[in-house]
Amino acid sequence: MAAPAKQAQLLARQLFKLSVVDGTVSADRVAGVLAYVEKHASAQSLLVLKAYRRLVATELAKSEARVEHAGAISSSALAAIAATMTKTYRRPVTAVARANPALLAGVRVHVGDDVYESSVSGQLAALAASV
Amino acid sequence: MSTVLDQIEQQIAKLSTKAVKKNTGNIRTLADGVAKIDGLSDVMYNEMVAFPGGAIGIALNLEESEVGCVILGDISKLKEGDEVTTTGKLLSVPVGKALLGRAVDALGNPVDGKGPIDAKEFYPVERIAPGIIVRKSVSQPLFTGIMAIDSMIPIGRGQRELIIGDRGTGKTTIAIDTIINQAKINKVGLASGDPKFRPVYSIYVAIGQKNSNIVRTIAALEAAGALEFTILVCASAADNPANQYLAPYSGAAMGEWFMENGQDALIVYDDLSKHAVAYRQISLILKRPSGREAYPGDVFYLHSRLLERSARLDGKGSLTALPIIETLAGDVSAYIPTNVISITDGQIFLETDLFNQGIRPAVSVGLSVSRVGSAAQIKATKQVGGKLKGELAQFRELAAFAQFGSDLDAKTKSQLERGARIVELFKQPAFSPLPIELQVSILFAMQKGFFDPIDAKKVVPAAAAMKDFFTTRKDALLTEIRTKAALDKDIEAKLQAACDEWKSGYTG
Ligand SMILES: Nc1ncnc2c1ncn2[C@@H]1O[C@H](COP(=O)(O)OP(=O)(O)OP(=O)(O)O)[C@@H](O)[C@H]1O
Ligand SMILES: [Mg+2]
Repeated sequence: MAAPAKQAQLLARQLFKLSVVDGTVSADRVAGVLAYVEKHASAQSLLVLKAYRRLVATELAKSEARVEHAGAISSSALAAIAATMTKTYRRPVTAVARANPALLAGVRVHVGDDVYESSVSGQLAALAASV
Repeated sequence: MSTVLDQIEQQIAKLSTKAVKKNTGNIRTLADGVAKIDGLSDVMYNEMVAFPGGAIGIALNLEESEVGCVILGDISKLKEGDEVTTTGKLLSVPVGKALLGRAVDALGNPVDGKGPIDAKEFYPVERIAPGIIVRKSVSQPLFTGIMAIDSMIPIGRGQRELIIGDRGTGKTTIAIDTIINQAKINKVGLASGDPKFRPVYSIYVAIGQKNSNIVRTIAALEAAGALEFTILVCASAADNPANQYLAPYSGAAMGEWFMENGQDALIVYDDLSKHAVAYRQISLILKRPSGREAYPGDVFYLHSRLLERSARLDGKGSLTALPIIETLAGDVSAYIPTNVISITDGQIFLETDLFNQGIRPAVSVGLSVSRVGSAAQIKATKQVGGKLKGELAQFRELAAFAQFGSDLDAKTKSQLERGARIVELFKQPAFSPLPIELQVSILFAMQKGFFDPIDAKKVVPAAAAMKDFFTTRKDALLTEIRTKAALDKDIEAKLQAACDEWKSGYTG
């Protein structure tokens, strides 16, 4: 028999698979999963839900391009980023803007665990690492 | 004209502001030099991963929801939640002649306080071993300078010969002797100006040893003037297991540089038992399933992929390996010893009993073999030492038998006398390898019965006197043996005359 943590992982993974419809996380399905877990509460519910949350968060992050920017960013630029990412990842990706003055200038885009760096601070860091 | 430049500059500007893609993750847990990381979905097996603060990790476990990394370097400043990024590179170490005479850690950073190393090239630490097509069979000798080994268990360039024995039986000493002997041969060969001479460079990898032992080894090499031909890769017992795990592969990469550049190198792994233990430690922390003796299932691959990198390459150079394994109470059937025995081309087995009887180096002739080395043995040694192994085996058998009976016929008696003298002749102090031409001369004298009238207990000083006599008075003859590498009628006559001369002058 697998360890409790492993079992929770397995269950969370199954629940997660049920929550994805056509490659995107469905809000209805997630609500259903939550209701199911609440109804069948057990000692492992917390572990299962934590693992489930991570899986869903990872999945959601893949369809959201978090655009960090210093200074203003136009909505057309955001739309362009969303379009490019949608093409690159072959899935619908929406762009969300976040101001981050620490970048000095330029943008940094996060999609899932990929990071696209085109900011001045990033270039400075790369320069600092190479000298 | 300026518009052209403008165009080019625009293009450059476009390129330099082009976005850089990185794959990132976050440290989820951190313990015992191993980090579990969320994200890093693009990471490759064995890829270098950059941690904040300059530490480097190697991705060893690629799981569905996390990546297990061993961390090399300073982990004290890392914490959970820190961002890590993939580098797209496999771990590499500096290689080349700039490393000779230096002591480095598993990543090739100097640890001897002699300043930075000006390496021009880097080689990946993990490399696929050469295939069978590019290999050549072993046919050039690599002299250890230890008479018992060079005459009965000869080693060739590109061979993998295991040194195995209990703790404190002189394993390290044999390896160091071999390195010292290469340095001596290199000096003579390079001074002779012979264009065909191929020097052998040495790499000594210390894994999981006490720092005091490593210091002693370095001192011995320095005292013998061998440091300038040697690279030391140190991952001491105080280093974290990731460094100990990595050190042999780093050393192999440094050795491969010599091999790939048409030169010969020798690498000593001291020792692979401790290497396996370090790997077991990492695997247990990574929660890999464990098997026999709690080692992970791929521990065989751990050593096979390392030792397979030693080879003699067609049209290039060679890398000879002397891995060392420590046994418990002489048990060669334990897990790691059997594995490594099956990968190597033979073994030099050292016995505690012999060591304690004062027979040092404590080579057990019956249990030691060299499966490919005889093809590399020079003719002169074959001529004087071809029958030694059999003679010694017979001696052991008769000696055991003679304990019971007192009435021995003359032939048995002479065999016993001869055997006892061979055992004495093979005694050799630590860190004093003998040139092959001197070995041949001594063995010649033994075969011609020059030691027979000498009391067995006095054979050691007599042999020492003979070595002295040959080195100080018969230099030309020794050089002739070395260059011809075979005994013809003429040399044999000269050797006979020299031995007679020695005998008439020896009073001891
Ligand atoms: N041929 C020799 N003649 C005299 N002493 C020797 C000889 N070989 C080794 N010794 C001595 O025996 C001791 C142990 O030798 P060494 O360190 O080489 O053994 P080891 O098998 O590598 O030990 P360990 O298991 O601790 O690594 C040392 O003090 C060394 O000087
Ligand atoms: Mg040792």
